[in-house]
Amino acid sequence: MPVVKLQGIVKQYGNIKASDGVDLEVRNGEYLCLLGPTGAGKTTILRIISGLTKPDHGSVLFDGKPMDKVEPEDRRAVMLSQTYALFPQLTVAENILFGPDIRQYEEEVKERTLADMLDLVRLTHRPDAFPSELSGGMMQRTALARALASGASVLLLDEPLRALDARLRISLRHEVRSLAKSMGITTIHVTHDQDEALVMADRIAVIREGKVVQVGLPGEVFDNPATPFVANFVGQSNFFVGEVEEKKESTSIRGDSGQVVLARPCEQRLGEKVVVGVKVGNTEVHKEGEGYFDGTVERILFEGRNIYLDVDVPGLGRYSSKIPSWRLGRLSVGDRVKINWSADKATVFTMPPEGLEKELRVE
Amino acid sequence: MPEVSLKNITMRFGKVVAVDEVDLTIHDGEYVTILGPSGCGKTTLIRVIAGILEPTQGEVHIAGKSMKGVPIEERDLGYVFQNIALFPHMTVKMNAAYGPTVKDRPMEEREQTARKYLEMVKLLDKMSMFPSELCGGEQQKASLARALATGAKLLLLDEPLSALDARVRVDLRYELRRITKNLGLTVVHVTHDQEEAMSVSDRIVVMRAGGIVESGTPEQLYTRPRDVFTANFVGETNLLEGWVKERHEGGSWIELRDNSVIMVESCDPQVGEAVVVSVRPEFVFPFTDGLLSRIEYLTYLGTFSRVSARSQSDDLVEFDVPSIEGKLYHPGQEVHLMFNRKAAVVYPRPIEGVSEAVKLE
Repeated sequence: MPVVKLQGIVKQYGNIKASDGVDLEVRNGEYLCLLGPTGAGKTTILRIISGLTKPDHGSVLFDGKPMDKVEPEDRRAVMLSQTYALFPQLTVAENILFGPDIRQYEEEVKERTLADMLDLVRLTHRPDAFPSELSGGMMQRTALARALASGASVLLLDEPLRALDARLRISLRHEVRSLAKSMGITTIHVTHDQDEALVMADRIAVIREGKVVQVGLPGEVFDNPATPFVANFVGQSNFFVGEVEEKKESTSIRGDSGQVVLARPCEQRLGEKVVVGVKVGNTEVHKEGEGYFDGTVERILFEGRNIYLDVDVPGLGRYSSKIPSWRLGRLSVGDRVKINWSADKATVFTMPPEGLEKELRVE
Repeated sequence: MPEVSLKNITMRFGKVVAVDEVDLTIHDGEYVTILGPSGCGKTTLIRVIAGILEPTQGEVHIAGKSMKGVPIEERDLGYVFQNIALFPHMTVKMNAAYGPTVKDRPMEEREQTARKYLEMVKLLDKMSMFPSELCGGEQQKASLARALATGAKLLLLDEPLSALDARVRVDLRYELRRITKNLGLTVVHVTHDQEEAMSVSDRIVVMRAGGIVESGTPEQLYTRPRDVFTANFVGETNLLEGWVKERHEGGSWIELRDNSVIMVESCDPQVGEAVVVSVRPEFVFPFTDGLLSRIEYLTYLGTFSRVSARSQSDDLVEFDVPSIEGKLYHPGQEVHLMFNRKAAVVYPRPIEGVSEAVKLE
C-alpha cells in the first residue's frame, strides 16, 4: 500500500487558507488520525489526497509518484464521508459491488469479493437489505465494505463515526481500526474527537487553521504537546503563566503574584515569559500535604469512572482536576485544598505572541 | 412552579409505537436527562412535553395543569433544538430579545433582558453579530440565551450539544448546568451521550424501545444500575456469565463457564440461577492469582491504558492500568485478574441472552 506524502500543500478559498503549507507523510499501512476543530482544514486535506480538490500549490505523492495529473478514479484512494452516501435504491450487496461492477471485474472475482466483504463487516445475514432497513452502525459498515471492495489502497475516512450514538461510537472504534489494519490499507481518518484519535491512531497529526501543529504517537501528543493548544485540545489542561526563575533538574517558574511551580526541564531562557501546561488528569488535589497553591472546591461533577473538580484559586482563577471516582465522598464543595503536580507532568511553552486565550480557542 | 408530570403517555406513528405507556415526574428545579440510543423514543417524549406532538394516549401536566390542547407557545417553556435555529437575519441581541418582543414588552425591558442573558452565556461582546458570524458553540449559546430570555421556568433541551465538536461540547455542558442551576430552572434534556448525561444531571432517565428502563442519580446508575442494559450503556463494563454457586451474607461465589469462581459482595439471585456479573474496567486488577486471561490488545487513553483480554471462561475482560505501566503488557501475554467484589453487580441472566440485552442499536 502506498506511502502518502503531502508537500507544501496550499489551498485558499477567498480569504480563508484551508491548507496553509501542509507537509505530512503517512506510512505504508499506517492508521493516521487527522485531529482538529471544525474549520481547521481537515476535510480539505482528504479531498486533496483523493484528487477531488486541486491544491493551489504543492503536491501529493503516492510512493514518491506525483499525483497532480492522476484523475481521482485512478488513484485508488477512496473517501468515505460522514453521511456514508449509500445508494438508497440498492441493496447492501449491490452497494458493495458498485465499484467492482464499474471496474467490470469478472463474476467470480465479484462473488468472492462480496463474500469476503460481508464476512469482514459482519453482514452476511443482510445482503438483500436496503440501507433504510439498516441501523446506523450497519450502514456505516456497509459503506466501509463498499470502500474496501472497490480495491482501495488508501482509505480516507471523514468523521466515519460522527453520525452514530456516543456509546456505539466507542464500541465501534476498535472494529473500524482493525478492519483497516487487517487489510494493510494506508488510512487517514479525520476527526474532531481527541479520545477517538488517541484510541484509534498509530500516529496523530493535529491540525489547526490549515497548519499541521504536531505529528506524533498518541502518547507523544498527549504527554509532550508541542503547543498550549495541543495540550488543551488533546485532553484538557490547566495553565500557569510566569517567568523562568531557575533551571535545574526541573524548571522553577514564578507567577506574577509570587507563586512558584515546577515543570520539566525546558529550552526557554531565565527570565523568559512562559506558560506551564498540565493535564487535568495529572493535576492533584489534596486536603493535606504539599501544594503549589491553595484553593476552594467550587464544584464536583460525577462523570462515572472519574470525578471532575473545579477549584477556585484566589488570584489565579479556576484549576480543574480529574480524579478517580472512589475519592468522591472524601472531598466536598467548599473544602480548602492544595493544588499540586509532579514536575515531570508539566510542560513549559513560550508565551504565544497572540496571548494565551487566543491560542487556546477550540473553535 | 413547573413540575412536569407524564401520565401513561403513549405515542404511535402508524404501526410504530415510539413511546409506550410512560409515567414520569420531573420535579420543580430538577435537571433531568432522558438518555437512550437512537430510536428509543426520547425525542418523541420531549416533543410531547413541548406540545409539538399530541400524544395518542395519556396526559402531560405542567405545574399541575393538564396541557391537553394547549399549544407550545402557551406552555411557558423554553426550547433549544439540536440544529441551531436562530433567526439568520437578526443580530444575536435581536434573537435574544425575541421572547420579550413577541410578548410586546417595552423596548427598554427587551434590551435589558437580552443583555442579562447574553452576559450569562458570555456573548455580550458579540451581540451585534449575525448568527453566521459565530462559531457552532457560540450559536448554541445564543439559542440558549434566547430560550432563557422568554422568562420560562421550564427549559427543554433536545440534543443541544450533538452538532458540536467533542471539545466544545465538554466546555458547554458545564455552562449549561451552571446557568440553569443558578436560575433555578426545571430542565428536561434529551441526549444519546452518556458522558454528557452524567455530568449535567440531577437524575438520568434511561430509555429503550419506547419505555423507561430505570432512573436514578448519575452515581446510582454508574455504581449500582438495576438493569444490565444500563450497566453497559452508562459507561463501559465487563459482563461475565456464570451461575450462583454459594450465597452468603456479605460474600457470594459465582462460578464462571470454565468452573473458576469469583467472589461478589452482594447477590440477589438465588443459588443455581444463571447470572451475569458486571464489573467496570477500573475495578479489575492484574494479580498473582485470579481468573486466567490472555491479552488481546491494548488501547491508549491518555492518563491510562485499557487492556482487553479473553478469559479462560471465554468472557472479554478489560482493565485499566496507568499509562506508564502500559509497557508491562502486550498481546498474547497471560495475566491473572482479580475483581473488586464491592464493585460487582449481579443480574439474573437475561432470557434473550446477554448480547441481545445490551445491544446498542
